Amino acid sequence: MTSDSNHLRDLLYGFAGLVCLLIAWQIVGVSGVAGMTAPPIGKVFAIYNKPALAALLLRSARATMFSAVLGFGIGSVLGFATALLAHLLPILGPGLDRLAVVINAAPAIALGPIFIILVSREFTPTLLATIPVFFIVYVAATSGLKASTRVLGEMMTTFGARRWQLLCYLDLPSAIPSLMNGLKVSVTAAMIGAIVGEWFGAPTGLGVVILNTLENFQVPLMWAAILVVASISLSAYGLLTLAQRWAERRFA
Amino acid sequence: MSAIEIQGVSMRFRLSRKQEVLALENIDLTIQSGEFVAVIGPSGCGKSTLLHLVAALETATCGKITIDGESPEALREKHQLGIAFQEHALLPWLSVESNLALPFKIAGRPPDRGHIRELIRLVGLRGFEDARPRQLSGGMRQRAAIARSLCLDPKLLLLDEPFGALDAVTRRQMNIELQRVWLEKRLTTMLVTHSVDEAIFLADRVVVLSGRPGRIAEIIDVAFERPRTPECMRTEEFHRLSDHLTELLEP
Repeated sequence: MTSDSNHLRDLLYGFAGLVCLLIAWQIVGVSGVAGMTAPPIGKVFAIYNKPALAALLLRSARATMFSAVLGFGIGSVLGFATALLAHLLPILGPGLDRLAVVINAAPAIALGPIFIILVSREFTPTLLATIPVFFIVYVAATSGLKASTRVLGEMMTTFGARRWQLLCYLDLPSAIPSLMNGLKVSVTAAMIGAIVGEWFGAPTGLGVVILNTLENFQVPLMWAAILVVASISLSAYGLLTLAQRWAERRFA
Repeated sequence: MSAIEIQGVSMRFRLSRKQEVLALENIDLTIQSGEFVAVIGPSGCGKSTLLHLVAALETATCGKITIDGESPEALREKHQLGIAFQEHALLPWLSVESNLALPFKIAGRPPDRGHIRELIRLVGLRGFEDARPRQLSGGMRQRAAIARSLCLDPKLLLLDEPFGALDAVTRRQMNIELQRVWLEKRLTTMLVTHSVDEAIFLADRVVVLSGRPGRIAEIIDVAFERPRTPECMRTEEFHRLSDHLTELLEP
C-alpha cells in the first residue's frame, strides 16, 4: 500500500471516529442520563445559527485570538531572545534557566490579580498567554541551539569560522526543528493562558462568555464557546505541525 | 623547507580531580612541504589528538607546533587549513554545492563557482551538485567532504580517518581516488588512519605511534612509485611493509 492511500485511510478513520463521537454525544444528550450539563450536540450546533449569539461568539473569539496571538508572539520572541543570550553568554545560562522555571512555576490563577493591578484588565489575557509560551520556547530554543554535533563545530572552527559564523551557519539552522516543536506545543498553552486571563474581568472574550454562561446556566452556549476554543487551538496546532514537519525535513 | 614542525609535544588530559591520562609524550616530527604523512597506531594511542593539535582544535600541554613558521591558530585564522573527518560533517540542510561554498563564506570571500564545480568533478560527484548529504551514499559523502577540504587551496590538508566508516571495497576505491586527487594538488597532507594498507598505499612516510602514552615507535619510508596502482598492494614489498607495521601495532 502506498503512503498516500495510508494517509487517506487515516483521514477516513479519523473522520469516522469524530462522527461516532458526535452521535454518541447526541444520544447521551437526548436521553438525559448525564444531566442538564450535557445537552444534545444538536442544541449546541443550533447556537451557531442564532445571529445574535453567533455574532457574540465571533466577537469574543476575535478578542481571545488577539490576546493569544499577541501573547504567543511576545512569548516566542522573548523566549528565543533569552535562549540566545544564554547561548552566547554561557555564564548566564544556569541563572536564566532558574528564572524561567520560577516564572513558569507561579500559577496563572495567582498571577492574574497582580497583573490586573500591574497592566490593566485588557492586557492581562495577553500576559498570561505570554508566560507559558516564553517558557516552552525558551526550553526548546536552548536545547535546539545545542543540537549541532561536535564534529560540525570542529569542521567550521578548522576552516577558521568566528563565533558569529558558527552561530549563523551552524547553531541557528540546527535549532530550527526544536524551535518549531516548541512553537507547536506552546500555541495551545497561549490559548489557555488567554482564556484564564479573561476570567479576571476582561471586557470581552471567549473566557468571559464561558464564565457568564456558567453563572447564568446557559449550557448550550457554554459548549458552543468551548467548541470554538477547541477548534481555534486545534487549527493553530495543525498549522504549526505542518510547519514543524517541513522544518524537520529541511534542517535535520 | 619544512611545512610542519612538531617539537617535544606532550598532551595530558584530565579525567577527574585526581586522575590524569598522558595521551601523547614527547612527539618530535617534521613533515616536509608537499609530503604525504600517515599516522597509525593502536586505538586510543592519541593519533587523532595529534591531528587535533595541528588543527589547533586543542592546545598541547607542552611542546611546540609550527606550520611554515607560524602557529596552527595563525594558519587557521588565514583559512589555510583543510580538514575531513570520519563523519562527513556536511551540513544536512545544504546541497553539495552549498556545502562546498561554506569555506568561502567562512573566509569572507565570494564562492568561486568555477572552482567548486571543478572540485566536484575532481572527486567524481558531477550531477550531484544539488543533492543533499542524506541523498548520497557514505562514499559519496566522504568525496564531498574531501572536495570541501580542498576548496580554499589549503596549505595543509588534515584527514582524520576519512574512510573509517566505509566498507572495505568502497574504502579501497576511495584510496585510489584520494591518491589521484592528491597527485593533482600535491598538498602537504597528514592522514590519521587505523588501516595499515591505507597508510602504505597513500603515504610517503608512515609514522607509527605506540599505545598509551602515544610515543613515536617508528617512522617508515614508503618508496613506491606514484601513481600507485592496486597491483602495488599485491607486491612482496607491500606485504613485507604491511606485516612489519601490523607487528608494530600489536601490544
